[in-house]
Amino acid sequence: MEVKVFAEKLFAAGREVGFDAMEAYVASRNLFRVGVFKSEIDSYTLAQSRGLSFRGLINGRMGYSFTENLSEDSVALLVDDARANAAVIDSEDPEEIFGGSPEATYADVCSFSPALEQVLAAEKIAWVKEVEQQAYGLDVRVSTVQVSLGNSSGETMLMNTKGLNLAHQGNFADGYVAAVVKEGEDTKSAYAFFSSRDFSRFDPVTLSKEAVDEAISLLGAESIESGQYPVLLRHDVAGEFLATFASSFSAEAVQKGLSLLKDKQGEQIMSSNVTIIDDPHLPERPNSAPFDAEGVATASKEVVAAGRLMTLLHNLKTAKKDGVNSTGNAYKMAFNAPVTVAPTNLYIQPGKRDYADLVAHIEHGLIIIAVQGTHSGANPVSGDFSLSAYGYLVQGGQVVRPVNQVTIAGNFFKMLSDVQEVGNDLHFKMGSIAAPSLLIGSLAVSGK
Amino acid sequence: MLAKPLLEDILLAGLSTGGDFAEVFVEDRFSTILSMIGGKVDSGVSGRDYGIGVRILKGTNYVYAYTNDYSRDNLIKVAKEAAAAISPETISRNITLSFMKDEPLHINPIRIYPHEIVKQDKVSLMARAYHAAKEYDPVISQVMVRYFDEDQKVQIANSLGLYVEDERVRTRTAITAIASKGPEKQSGTYAPGAHMGFEFYDNIKIEDYAQEAARIASTMIHAPYAPSGRIPVIIDNEFGGVIFHEACGHSLEATSVAKKTSVFADKLGEKIASSVVSAVDDGTIPNAWGSLNVDDEGHVSQRNLLIEAGVLKGYMVDLYNGRRMNVPATGNSRRQSYKFAPTSRMTNTFILPGSHTREEIIASTEYGLFARYMGGGSVNPATGEFNFAVNEGYMVRNGKLAEPVRGATLIGQGSDVLLKIDMVADNLACGQGMCGSISGSLPADVGQPTIRVSEMIVGGRKGDK
Repeated sequence: MEVKVFAEKLFAAGREVGFDAMEAYVASRNLFRVGVFKSEIDSYTLAQSRGLSFRGLINGRMGYSFTENLSEDSVALLVDDARANAAVIDSEDPEEIFGGSPEATYADVCSFSPALEQVLAAEKIAWVKEVEQQAYGLDVRVSTVQVSLGNSSGETMLMNTKGLNLAHQGNFADGYVAAVVKEGEDTKSAYAFFSSRDFSRFDPVTLSKEAVDEAISLLGAESIESGQYPVLLRHDVAGEFLATFASSFSAEAVQKGLSLLKDKQGEQIMSSNVTIIDDPHLPERPNSAPFDAEGVATASKEVVAAGRLMTLLHNLKTAKKDGVNSTGNAYKMAFNAPVTVAPTNLYIQPGKRDYADLVAHIEHGLIIIAVQGTHSGANPVSGDFSLSAYGYLVQGGQVVRPVNQVTIAGNFFKMLSDVQEVGNDLHFKMGSIAAPSLLIGSLAVSGK
Repeated sequence: MLAKPLLEDILLAGLSTGGDFAEVFVEDRFSTILSMIGGKVDSGVSGRDYGIGVRILKGTNYVYAYTNDYSRDNLIKVAKEAAAAISPETISRNITLSFMKDEPLHINPIRIYPHEIVKQDKVSLMARAYHAAKEYDPVISQVMVRYFDEDQKVQIANSLGLYVEDERVRTRTAITAIASKGPEKQSGTYAPGAHMGFEFYDNIKIEDYAQEAARIASTMIHAPYAPSGRIPVIIDNEFGGVIFHEACGHSLEATSVAKKTSVFADKLGEKIASSVVSAVDDGTIPNAWGSLNVDDEGHVSQRNLLIEAGVLKGYMVDLYNGRRMNVPATGNSRRQSYKFAPTSRMTNTFILPGSHTREEIIASTEYGLFARYMGGGSVNPATGEFNFAVNEGYMVRNGKLAEPVRGATLIGQGSDVLLKIDMVADNLACGQGMCGSISGSLPADVGQPTIRVSEMIVGGRKGDK
């Protein structure tokens, strides 16, 4: 059924059972992905999907339901489910159905490239095969290469009974090159991730070289003596740290007692060379949008300015509770998830020094190029982490050898209070949270 | 669910360009998630996922397509698009399909379906958990309870004539307690679940799990940081099995074995673990969290011996990777939903009981770490390097448990740690987890008796060794 027709039927059915205000949130997506293994296509995905999430206020409580089946008989199911879910809500902070931000505040965010839709499947297959071939040709020690490339396009629509009617379209392409290299019994692997709306920016030579060179550079890695070391977190690792602990900036986490940033607004929480920005209008990123999951107009903001906490991230409910305005950070993890709070494109503002310059300034320390297990070894509530890591040992400003089988441990906020230098190498590789390389004064490293 | 003639037409459209195997997977899933924080329900979502996945193989070429537009015209169009990706040319073939309906054994009987229980009863269960955790100790500052249930109906048909319908009902309640002391916070989590209806909560006492979550948090808030270094580690039973899941299980999945990206590829019959280690993947345990009647290719679930007395005996194999490996599938092909192509995954994976007792293991350890509860972890299947978090740890000194320690991470290499397991106790138990890999996030049991690893790298924060 046509989405708008379905929404009208849904709102009519909802009114009959006593819903005061209602919203239909629809996400549709088309997806293509191809992967090769030894010149054969070993994964190829074509997909179209559409889901509708319904929420409505009844007796002052918000009930949610969803469906992927937009047929007539889903209308009653949605309304009944939402009503039953609303009945058990006993949180005192009501959610609201939003009437809309002033028209002029909805930015013109371009997230769709018609050119990307014109790239033929055959071109993408040829590209993936070329990358694979390039990677195998780079070094005899390359034992396995996996390449994946995909693109998706989608539309988000938000319609409600308060007259709000918003839509935003986007498309995007991304993928990875994974290289496994072997020397005797020593096996190492590395990834090169890429994402853009411009297919012509994916260079087979650069990407295959990035993955293979990194894997080769790790051969012969060994652990090091446990101790305190100055540590350079490469940009992707620094970004992963920011992503892991980004929930600390959510007003929802603070209000629920799940963040250390309670009552910290205006205070120095990090080193003065750290500035963190959430910019929902970055032209190149897939999450960029003129409105958030509640229909509030989005805007760029400094979350941390020179180490001081400027604002938490809010949706309508958390803003009301704190007596402030929503920052346009209402978020749904999937079309059918409840509204929470999350950054859109969060990043640490780059500094002036390039990566090589940062390495040159390390007398005796480590470069960390990957951490593992952030979902288990890092606690976003306490800020504590202890993570498996690998990278390189640096002496006298020179990389001397690869290092693995170590863990780095500390506390996120303490670590960001000990940032000595911020690199100029900010790259969004995948996802929507990124950072430049950060030189940390000292971290606990466990090894031998 | 789709009618058989339509399924047949989709399969034929899928084979129209020379594919040698086609499969249709139909999913209709109802699920409910309720979350409670501070004793109050703050969100409740329920709904219906519905979609169809079509898979076509030609040798080792592979195409997967999915949609949730279930009109006949669209489904045939999707199958034809997928077929066109296998080969551009249509081949005229005379294929007759005759479905043999398989009646899978219902090894996971369901008594009380989630829709038969009113939401208020689910909320009452959550409230019991909340109170048990909150009132355990004054240091518990916050408690979150998340209730989940799902009823997933699937229909699987393939061009070999297989036709299966199955229904998977699961429920789980996760309790997270947070202890606070000044600016510090520590958390403890326990999340029991089963391939079962609401009767699960008659079989267990939710308060016990909630109090255990609170006990972990309140123990850890008073604990100093763990030391660092290479020391003996005793890993307790139940969720401690995550070590085997990460360190070894993923590397025994055909997904990485078939492409020889696993450290255990081509090692059948070889000794890969210490001789005290035997392990299985068993999808047939009635009502266990990771159990299946049939897998997502319609294959009846099995108990698969992986390691016997340290010798590698078998892998977990799906149909597609089985083609590369030239071995039959083992009932391990799984997917999160129709939005994922299925591949080899674990079900309930555990180390079998040994001859020692937990007490003997502790008593024979002069100095080391006792990991009572493990958190999650991850592994790089290519290198076998793994990591996981210790949620509740204790130091062992002179054969006795000493002070609790927080913040420890265990790291190592799967192939290495398996050889260093030197004691296995007799107290096998399993815990529930969600396992993430290329075919999505899936319910899986991990398990083991208490084991000792003679030496592991413990990453803590205290600089000493």
